[in-house]
Amino acid sequence: MSALSLNRPADDPRIAGRASPRRATRRASDQLFAAVPALWLFVFFIAPLGFTVAFSFGHADFGGVRLGFTLDNYAKALSGFYLEAFLRTIRFAVTGCALCLAVAYPTAYFIARHAGRFRQVALLLVLVPYFTSFLIRVMSWQILLARGGPIEAVLNTLHLHVGPLDVLDTQTAVFIGLVYAYLPIAIIPLYVVLERIPATLVEASRDLGASSWQTFVHVILPLSRPGIATTVLLTGVPMLGELVIPSLLGGDKGVLMGQAISSQYIDSQNYALGSAMAVLVLLAIAVMVALLARLTRGFAEVSA
Amino acid sequence: MTRQPVSSSANIGLSRRSLLAMLGAALSSLLPSGAFAAGSGALNIYSWPDYFSADDLAAYTKKSGVTPNIATYNANEIMFAKLNSPAGAGFDIVIPSSGWIRQLAEKNLLQPLDHSRIDFGALDPSLLNRDYDPGNRYSIPKDWGVLGVVYDPDAVGGEIKTWQDFFDAGAKPGVSGKIRMTKSASETVGPALWIAGKDWNTATVADINAVAPQLKDFAKHIKTFAGFDPQAMASGAIVLAQANQAAARGAMLQNPKLKWVVPGPQSEIWVDSYAIAAKAENVDQAYDFLNFFLSPAIQVKETEYLGYPAAITGLQGQLSLDTKLAEQIFGGPGVDFKSLTSFIVNPDTIGAFQDVQNQVMAAAGA
Repeated sequence: MSALSLNRPADDPRIAGRASPRRATRRASDQLFAAVPALWLFVFFIAPLGFTVAFSFGHADFGGVRLGFTLDNYAKALSGFYLEAFLRTIRFAVTGCALCLAVAYPTAYFIARHAGRFRQVALLLVLVPYFTSFLIRVMSWQILLARGGPIEAVLNTLHLHVGPLDVLDTQTAVFIGLVYAYLPIAIIPLYVVLERIPATLVEASRDLGASSWQTFVHVILPLSRPGIATTVLLTGVPMLGELVIPSLLGGDKGVLMGQAISSQYIDSQNYALGSAMAVLVLLAIAVMVALLARLTRGFAEVSA
Repeated sequence: MTRQPVSSSANIGLSRRSLLAMLGAALSSLLPSGAFAAGSGALNIYSWPDYFSADDLAAYTKKSGVTPNIATYNANEIMFAKLNSPAGAGFDIVIPSSGWIRQLAEKNLLQPLDHSRIDFGALDPSLLNRDYDPGNRYSIPKDWGVLGVVYDPDAVGGEIKTWQDFFDAGAKPGVSGKIRMTKSASETVGPALWIAGKDWNTATVADINAVAPQLKDFAKHIKTFAGFDPQAMASGAIVLAQANQAAARGAMLQNPKLKWVVPGPQSEIWVDSYAIAAKAENVDQAYDFLNFFLSPAIQVKETEYLGYPAAITGLQGQLSLDTKLAEQIFGGPGVDFKSLTSFIVNPDTIGAFQDVQNQVMAAAGA
């Protein structure tokens, strides 16, 4: 290190000082590199968000907003029908998230700890559906679940069900589609965390007399908290805004916030109320992120 | 007013097809419209997906040397929002439904038509000079549809003649839970208003709210609000559905025992209409295109392609003889055009219509 500094004195800050042209250009390029994503973020994220927040305090005009300051939109969004839709959406996201975790956790656990040399293949199989369009994947469930469709045929052949299957356009179909669509992004973070838990910890737990259930509850589960938190974040946040799956598989019944916001913006051309509802969803997400940060408290220090 | 165009060649899996079209619309809306070549020798059309036959478009290109750029929307509301924003500047021809023409005109988004440049002679007089655009100042009828009911008479156990019959039949066991209604607020609230003897264009917010309880009560019988799916009607998953005549025809071709009715005392006629955007840059080309597509020979071919009737006089006699269920294309036998009314969007009531629709959809999922 010292030899290098001797050979190239200009690089040594003690000698070159602040006036070095080399450092100056480097700093300029750094700033440029930082400016591009910052600008991107500002134009495509902060600015629209600013509009949304400003609209949410404005007065609705058909197909426009008169800016101003009123809390009427929030009052409407938090009362009666729209409050119900908000609470229904939270229940929906919590249920969807829990179902996803319930399916993803054992799958990730198996792949991480028992799949051996087939691990990569198993992960690939989990990810393969992701190469197809989201809409196509959800729509294929329409065909599978339809009356007279393949699932009806299989269930009837196995004598698990008799007669025509009318599951399409129900909540059950919505949750089937939801779990299916979000499963890959639920499995991957759990897999990453579970795979990194050292086998020695599990051995130590067994040596100290813990049953495999006790080992799971007291060693593996607590250590996989960051994975659970990431999964909840990656599945729960989009579920709060879910719009397509309830529409395609649920017959558009039981209005959720995503649908309610879209109907305010598009059908009623009421941008002010739509914006207030969007801000509320955003706040719900912020609360969720704060709770998850609490759940994983302590992990940052350990990994650092 | 929310619907999918039906082509006679492919009338299966409408909802799926329209979703694919939606995908296409989403992609094409990403393209800045300003990127299209402006000036002479170009034409930018903003239309429903799949609303012109590829053959006739190719014929127009051959005649004029211009290949129209077509961007698509799947709802009038989206078209309105776009034309009403800076992103809507690049379009020459738009195809709003009857209900939205007044709003578009009031916001100065359409330009008055030069009647000396269009031949209205072949157009059906009963579709001209209607209340949504008196004197056809802004619009030329392209094609039209009616709101009706398609049903399985065995399941429903009788004939449906009125909207009251529709709601009564829907509550019967065997029919309840197998009903499709539209996602369009006016088409959900409208029938209840008509039963109450009200006009949907003059109904007040109080009138609209007054019919909400009975509709919310009916919601538990509804299976879906999604796009009309002929296969669901063929398989018996749906036995009673609101639909337009062309979508119903798609189902009737697959399941001949289905019956169609345009219920009384009133029902809807919508007319999708050509209009020229206020900021159109290729006005001459737009008139040229309109005159080509308004010629009767092209109108007949377009009708056979779309499954929706073009707005010309004596069209039914000109369709090729092997067109199946041809009468259904024109709203079915015995449809009384005097009892049909077009919804006109009114900013004072549209929010109330939509609130009721949302409440009905929420109640259906409870």
